Amino acid sequence: MMNKAISTRLTFAVAILSLLIFIILWQVIAQQGLLVKNFPGSFKTIASLIWWVSDPFFDNGPNDLGIGTNLLISLRRVLIGYSLAVLVAIPLGVLMGMSKLAQSSLNPYVQLLKPVSPLAWLPVGLFVFRNSEITGIFVIFITSIWPTLINTAFGVASINPDYLRVSKSLGANKSITIRRVILPAIMPNILAGMRISMGTAWLVIVAAEMLLGTGIGYFIWNEWNNLSLENIFVAIIIIGFTGFILDQFFGFLQDKFDYSI
Amino acid sequence: MNKKSSKISTSIENYSHLELANLGKIFFKEKKFIDFRSKGNRRGFEAIKDINLKIEKNTFVSIIGPSGCGKSTLLNLIAGLQAPTSGKIIIDGQAIKGPGPDRGVIFQNYALMPWLTTIQNIEFALNTVFPAKTKADVKERARKYLRMVGLEKASNKFPKELSGGMKQRVAIARALSINPNMLLMDEPFGALDALTRSYLQDELLSIWRKNKVTVVLITHSIEEALLLSDKIVLMSSGPSAIISEEISVDLERPRDREKIEQDPRYLKIKMRLEKHLLRETRAVEEVT
Repeated sequence: MMNKAISTRLTFAVAILSLLIFIILWQVIAQQGLLVKNFPGSFKTIASLIWWVSDPFFDNGPNDLGIGTNLLISLRRVLIGYSLAVLVAIPLGVLMGMSKLAQSSLNPYVQLLKPVSPLAWLPVGLFVFRNSEITGIFVIFITSIWPTLINTAFGVASINPDYLRVSKSLGANKSITIRRVILPAIMPNILAGMRISMGTAWLVIVAAEMLLGTGIGYFIWNEWNNLSLENIFVAIIIIGFTGFILDQFFGFLQDKFDYSI
Repeated sequence: MNKKSSKISTSIENYSHLELANLGKIFFKEKKFIDFRSKGNRRGFEAIKDINLKIEKNTFVSIIGPSGCGKSTLLNLIAGLQAPTSGKIIIDGQAIKGPGPDRGVIFQNYALMPWLTTIQNIEFALNTVFPAKTKADVKERARKYLRMVGLEKASNKFPKELSGGMKQRVAIARALSINPNMLLMDEPFGALDALTRSYLQDELLSIWRKNKVTVVLITHSIEEALLLSDKIVLMSSGPSAIISEEISVDLERPRDREKIEQDPRYLKIKMRLEKHLLRETRAVEEVT
C-alpha cells in the first residue's frame, strides 16, 4: 500500500507536471501559428497576468481600471443580488414546501421562468430602473433565486416525517417547528441550492457586464475591442480562480452541515 | 393541574387512565387538484374499526398483531398525531383533542434530530413543553434524564456517533424528561440486535418501576410482550383490524428472563399468542 503522504505528494507532482506540459504545448502551438495567426502564447499571457496582478487596484477612468478593481465591482454586484435572492428564496421555498396552496399557485411561474436565461431580463431591468448598476444586481437576483428556491421547497417537502412527529407530539407550534426543526433539517438542501445559485450568478455576471460597463465582464469586452487576447486570458484565469474559491467556500459549509449517518 | 387532583380525588380514580371508545380510522386518498379517475369516490382504506379498550393507570400494556394490522395507526391516534375518523380517546375522563405533553412518544427509528447533540435533543423537548423554565433548569433536568439512561458521558455527542441502542436510550430519556404519565412506544426495539434489545428491555423495566407511568407498547415480539406486560392486546389482521382478544399476564415481577421461560403459565400464553399470530398472518399472506 502507498503511504498517504507520498500519495499526496505524487498527486501534487502530477498536477504540476501536467500544468507545465500544458503551458509548453500552448506556447509551441501559438508560436508556430498552428491555430490562428497572432494567437497569444502562454509566456505572453503569464507576463500579462503578472503585470495585472502586481498592480490590481488602479483607476484611470471607467475604461482603464485595474483587474482587482473590476473584480471587486463584479463581486459586489453578485453579493448584493445573490443575498437578496437568498433572503427571498428561503422563506418562499419553505412556504412552497409546507403549503399545497402555495406550491400549486407558485410552481407554474417557477417552472416557466427557471429555464429562461437571466440575460433576457436585462432590457427589462434597464427599462424599469434606468440604471446599469441596479440592473446588474437585478439580473443576478433573478439568476440566483431559482436553485435556492427549488432546493429549499424540495427539502421541506421531503423532510424526515419523524422530526415533524416528534415536534408535533411535544405540542410545538408552527413557529417553533419551522425555526427549530424544519430550517435546521433542510440546511443541507438550502446550502446545495445556494451553491448552485452562486455558481450560476458568477457565470451570468460576466455576460451581463459585457453589456453594462465596468466589472470583470466589461473588462473582457473592453480587451476584445483592444484586440488584446492575452488580457482576456488573464481575465478568464482570474474569473475561474474566484469562482473556484466561492465554490470551495460552499463546499466547506456543506461539510459542516452534513448530518448523514 | 387536572392530573395532580386526580391522584387525590377518589371519584376521578374510577376512570381508567386511557379509554378507547369505538375508535376507527379510515385513510382517504389525498384528493389531487385535478383528478379525473376517482370522481369523488371517497371509500378510503379502513385501518382499524370499533376499537374498545381500557388501560389502567401505571400498567404496562402491549399491543401485538400481524404486520400491517394498524398497530402503529392506533398508537398515532392515542398520541394525537392523527385524528380518528370515528370514536373517542379518553384520558383521565377527558376526550383528547390532539397531542400533549402528558404522553411521551418513542418511535422505532429513534427520531433524534441529527443537528442537535444528545443533551440538546432533550433540551429541545423541555424548551418546547416548558417555555418558562430557565436555561439552567432545563440543562439540569436534561442531565438528570441522561444520567437515568446511563448516557451522561455522551451528552455532547451527536446522534450519528451513537449506537442504535444508545440512540433509543436518548429517545427514552427525551420522552420521560417532559414528565408524561403515559409512555407510547412504537416497536422501539425492533431495529436493534437481540442482545441490545434484551438490555434495553431490562432498562425499560427498571425505569418503569422508578417512574410510575402507564406504558403502551406496540410490538410484534411475543417474548417481549410476555416479559414486559401486565396485559397483552391482540389485534386481528387488517384492513379493518379489530381487537380480537385481551390477555392478562399474571406473572410475578420482577420477571427473570430465563426463569419465566420455564413457567407453565408463560408457555400457555405464549402458545395461545403464537396460534393467534400464525392464523392472522396466514389471513394476510393468503389474501392476494
